[in-house]
Amino acid sequence: MSLPTRKLTVTINGQRRGPIDVPEGMMMIDVLHEMLDLTGSRLGCGVGICHACVVIWDRDDQTSEEVQTCITGADFFDGKRIRTIEGIARTNDGGEITALSPVQQAFLDKFSFQCGYCTPGFVNAATVLIERLKRAPVPRAEVEATVAAALENHICRCTGYVRYYQAVRDVILTTPGLTRDGA
Amino acid sequence: MNDVGPRSRLSRRQVLRHGLIAGIAVYVAPLGSRAYAALFDERLLTAPAWNGRTASLKYRVDATSKVTGGKVFARDIRARDMPHWPQQQAHALVLRTTLADRLYAGFDLSVLGSDLKPDRVVTAADLARAGLAFPAFYGEDMLLPPGQTAAYLGQAVAMLIFHDFARFRFAKEKLQFNDTVVRYGTVTGPLQRDPWGASRFVRVGGKTGYDEDVFSCTKQGPVSTVAYDRHEPVWPQPARDGDLGAQGMYHAQAIDEELGHPPADWLVMTRDYATQSGDTAALEPDNANGWYDSAKQEMHLVVPTQSPQEVAEGVATLIAKSRLGLKRLFLHPCFTVGYGSKDHNPMPYYGLLAALYGDGRPVRLANDRFDQFQAGLKRHQFSMRYTIGVDRRTGLLQSFQAGIVANGGGRANCSVALTMVGATSAASVYYFPKTDVAATAIASRALDCGSARGYGALETLTATELMADELAAALGLDPIEFRLRNVLKTGMKNAQGAVPDGTQRAEAVLAKARAHALWTGRAAAKQAYEAAHPGKFYGVGFGCIQRRFGDGAQASFAKVEVARDGRITLSHTGTEIGTGASSGQAVACVRWLGRPADALEMAVTEWPDLPVETSGDPHAMSQDEQDRLSLNPRWTPAFASASSASNSAYYFTHTTQAAARVVFLYGLWPAAVAIWAHGGPGVLQAAKPEAARWRDGALVVEGFEPLPLARLAQEAHARGLVVGAAVHGFNRWQWTEADFDVVGGAVRLAVDGLSLRYGDGAAAAKQALASTPNRYHVLNRRTAAFPPTRNNNAMVGYNTAVGTLAELSVDATNGKVAVLAHHTILECGNMLVPDLVSGQLQGGTATGIGLALHEELPLYEGGPGDGTWNFNRYHLPRGSDVAVWAQTAEILPPLSDSEPPKGMAEVVVIPIMAAIVNGIAHAIGHRFRTLPVTPDQILKVLG
Repeated sequence: MSLPTRKLTVTINGQRRGPIDVPEGMMMIDVLHEMLDLTGSRLGCGVGICHACVVIWDRDDQTSEEVQTCITGADFFDGKRIRTIEGIARTNDGGEITALSPVQQAFLDKFSFQCGYCTPGFVNAATVLIERLKRAPVPRAEVEATVAAALENHICRCTGYVRYYQAVRDVILTTPGLTRDGA
Repeated sequence: MNDVGPRSRLSRRQVLRHGLIAGIAVYVAPLGSRAYAALFDERLLTAPAWNGRTASLKYRVDATSKVTGGKVFARDIRARDMPHWPQQQAHALVLRTTLADRLYAGFDLSVLGSDLKPDRVVTAADLARAGLAFPAFYGEDMLLPPGQTAAYLGQAVAMLIFHDFARFRFAKEKLQFNDTVVRYGTVTGPLQRDPWGASRFVRVGGKTGYDEDVFSCTKQGPVSTVAYDRHEPVWPQPARDGDLGAQGMYHAQAIDEELGHPPADWLVMTRDYATQSGDTAALEPDNANGWYDSAKQEMHLVVPTQSPQEVAEGVATLIAKSRLGLKRLFLHPCFTVGYGSKDHNPMPYYGLLAALYGDGRPVRLANDRFDQFQAGLKRHQFSMRYTIGVDRRTGLLQSFQAGIVANGGGRANCSVALTMVGATSAASVYYFPKTDVAATAIASRALDCGSARGYGALETLTATELMADELAAALGLDPIEFRLRNVLKTGMKNAQGAVPDGTQRAEAVLAKARAHALWTGRAAAKQAYEAAHPGKFYGVGFGCIQRRFGDGAQASFAKVEVARDGRITLSHTGTEIGTGASSGQAVACVRWLGRPADALEMAVTEWPDLPVETSGDPHAMSQDEQDRLSLNPRWTPAFASASSASNSAYYFTHTTQAAARVVFLYGLWPAAVAIWAHGGPGVLQAAKPEAARWRDGALVVEGFEPLPLARLAQEAHARGLVVGAAVHGFNRWQWTEADFDVVGGAVRLAVDGLSLRYGDGAAAAKQALASTPNRYHVLNRRTAAFPPTRNNNAMVGYNTAVGTLAELSVDATNGKVAVLAHHTILECGNMLVPDLVSGQLQGGTATGIGLALHEELPLYEGGPGDGTWNFNRYHLPRGSDVAVWAQTAEILPPLSDSEPPKGMAEVVVIPIMAAIVNGIAHAIGHRFRTLPVTPDQILKVLG
């Protein structure tokens, strides 16, 4: 095969992966699915719209953001740290789940999803939001608008969004330090 | 993935279900099932987290795997996940025509160069050589041969297979959107074909809706076309004393004449309506992964499907008819999502092709979103002309004439059945003394259409609800008052002349809507809102519909077993398509067993423990044929239904609870009596099963020691009582009933097949009867009462009613409609899992909002058949589109503790559509009659 490749080294869910040879021009979602066996970041549209494919990029300045892996080349992630859905819950050495994250547990308790295809994207979006609020809490009166803004780009076709939004709102309102009083 | 190790106590032969279809041995191990787990050590379902105190489910049984990104979907699977498959995954793509008005003349892959050449190319010539062709349901030309004009835009012409992913990926990038690849010849114009089907439903009622009909479908059957003339249906010549078709047309003609020259008191209105072509846009695009082991002549397929039974039969039959010598098929149906688009879908068959030509490699065929728009099954576009006559003085509807045309696109799929459902649902919640509804499913070069949520009724009911508002306005009546005057009451006949089963609750829904603050306050709210928001118009609209659940030929298997330690296992033919049916069926066991099923298997297609035979078409067989066939104690009209038609809550629950009830009555209850009998003989008289209740997992009868399920199970096993039951049920708007010799006498049960498993303590004679692979005793039914075939004419047997109020504002500067709030009133019997009903309602109304305001596909050129459509052009509703924080709903209390759950997942999509369009009329004084209502259209009207 004469396709040119580039080396990719990326820390995923705390584990350093690589260097692996990735064909030039390949999107990160294909690397995750075909080379790293991480299929939880799902392909919904392939054009960066539905956000089912997002991973969390953890930057050196301690902030994080969602990145659509379907439209972002793998080489963008070289040397970076990301979290995928597979790394959100706590697992033991055997890979068994020992604890869901508060967002995941809230999605279970609130029956937030149905088919589950978009759920990894929503988990990641909510996770990024909650971590952001830890650093910069919002007034309680603005929580619903904040949730809506954070999740607006995520498409769900099954649920009509209500229970996703309610679950994230409830996590924010019941987790100390994410809101502040005031107008 | 782990190998099958010593941990797996069951051998592969025992674990996999074994059936023979068309001479091919079929093994089905659904992904994540016990059978699959024994092979591959992977479980997707957890035991139900049950709150015994509140008798409620804490979360879905499939929740943990889904929220952690587990491999739940077929799309997640690669060859490396299937332990006995070769590990190297190959990939396929399908080349498609983008033009359907000229001869297809082959393709040119030179744009790929030598680096990106496919390893295998499959064309129609290959299929012809191998004798491979679609099952009849899917029609001709699985791959279009050169020298023909495509039947529809986007028709498949070739499959390209690549042995490694990178070359596949880059080749696909080069080929996608490239107009030079597929070649064309002479312009022929599109194919002109007769419609896929047409039928006509005529009814003339008696003096009232309760009286005997003068003429109706239930008595006489729908009117069929005699021929097509220039592709238009030709109906029989009217003749009062002719055959049934002629009589029907005689009455249709009379209806037409009366509407043309109506009595002086009538208002007659004619309106044209149109709904759009759309995409269900399930987020998991169609896909398949398959491996053909040519040495062993075994085919392995991993597929998402709403209809695993159909796929198993179709794939086996396809292979059997080919020149391939295939011995065994291993099918792995997966959890999925489809809203209809994965029901009777051709993708599994293309997946089969990919595997067959994989040169021994597993091949994955997976649509991206562009492919999905180009090739996934579409929603039918409907055009309707309604003429309605109403008495001005009373406001009572008198006559309904409808001409309905559904565009079925280039393959028939379910177009005929779907159009009939649309036609027979159109009268909605209203009583009409006379109806004549003619419906045609046309063939065209539009994309292949299939089952889509709402199934034809969504389209016709929306039109009816728009017209109801317009009629009310013309009569000077409040829209809900008008509906209440005309609502179908319990005992009245529907438009086919059948009396729908049970209490009709549309009246109750209407009454609630009329009293709701959104409705009563709308005039004042409009004034206030518009004063506070200059440049915006405010409106409130309403829609109310009823829709059937089920399809008149519902069938399923259920098996319930209680182990010695009290663990409950449920197996069912139903599949999980995101609705939570797996959770609902687990919970359905609570009624008779006190607890949900601990272990659950869905999508089970092989039932060696309850052999059942089926033949004929359940929708079309004659009564004589059915009577003759039913003499065979193994025969039933249908094997197992797909997950569709909102069927799990009522139909799947019926078989689950029938099996659980048998285990209770003939296993757990006698065990309880035996334990209590130690307290003396007087005990036995006092204890009656009707008095028994489950409380905190223990069986309770007043005055006796509560007995936990585990204790009962142990006793039942030790005494050789019934510890497992497998049933088959069939419903044609009535459940089949049959007599079985269970224990000590014949009992009548609402199932047509029954087998029993006895505890180990059973006497040798009883054990000897348990001859199936899992030690079940198959009972021969003594007599069977199948629902009469004339029920097919009823078309609608069970109804769920729902109404929605929508509050909206229209922005005059840009034409955009903002849905401010909506309120839905639903009746659906007793709910299995209220959170799942609520979720369906929230998702369904969002779908309705999408269809009312946002979603649209061009039917022909410029539409998705050219492979360029994605979510940038097809707008799916977001959170901001659906009044996510403000929406509300109320579920009417069930009629009684024993009212069964009713299917509701399609019905809730519909009334909000009319509510929004009626609300726009309230806002800006203009009635739109085509969907979607777009900002451009609104600006044109306002301008």
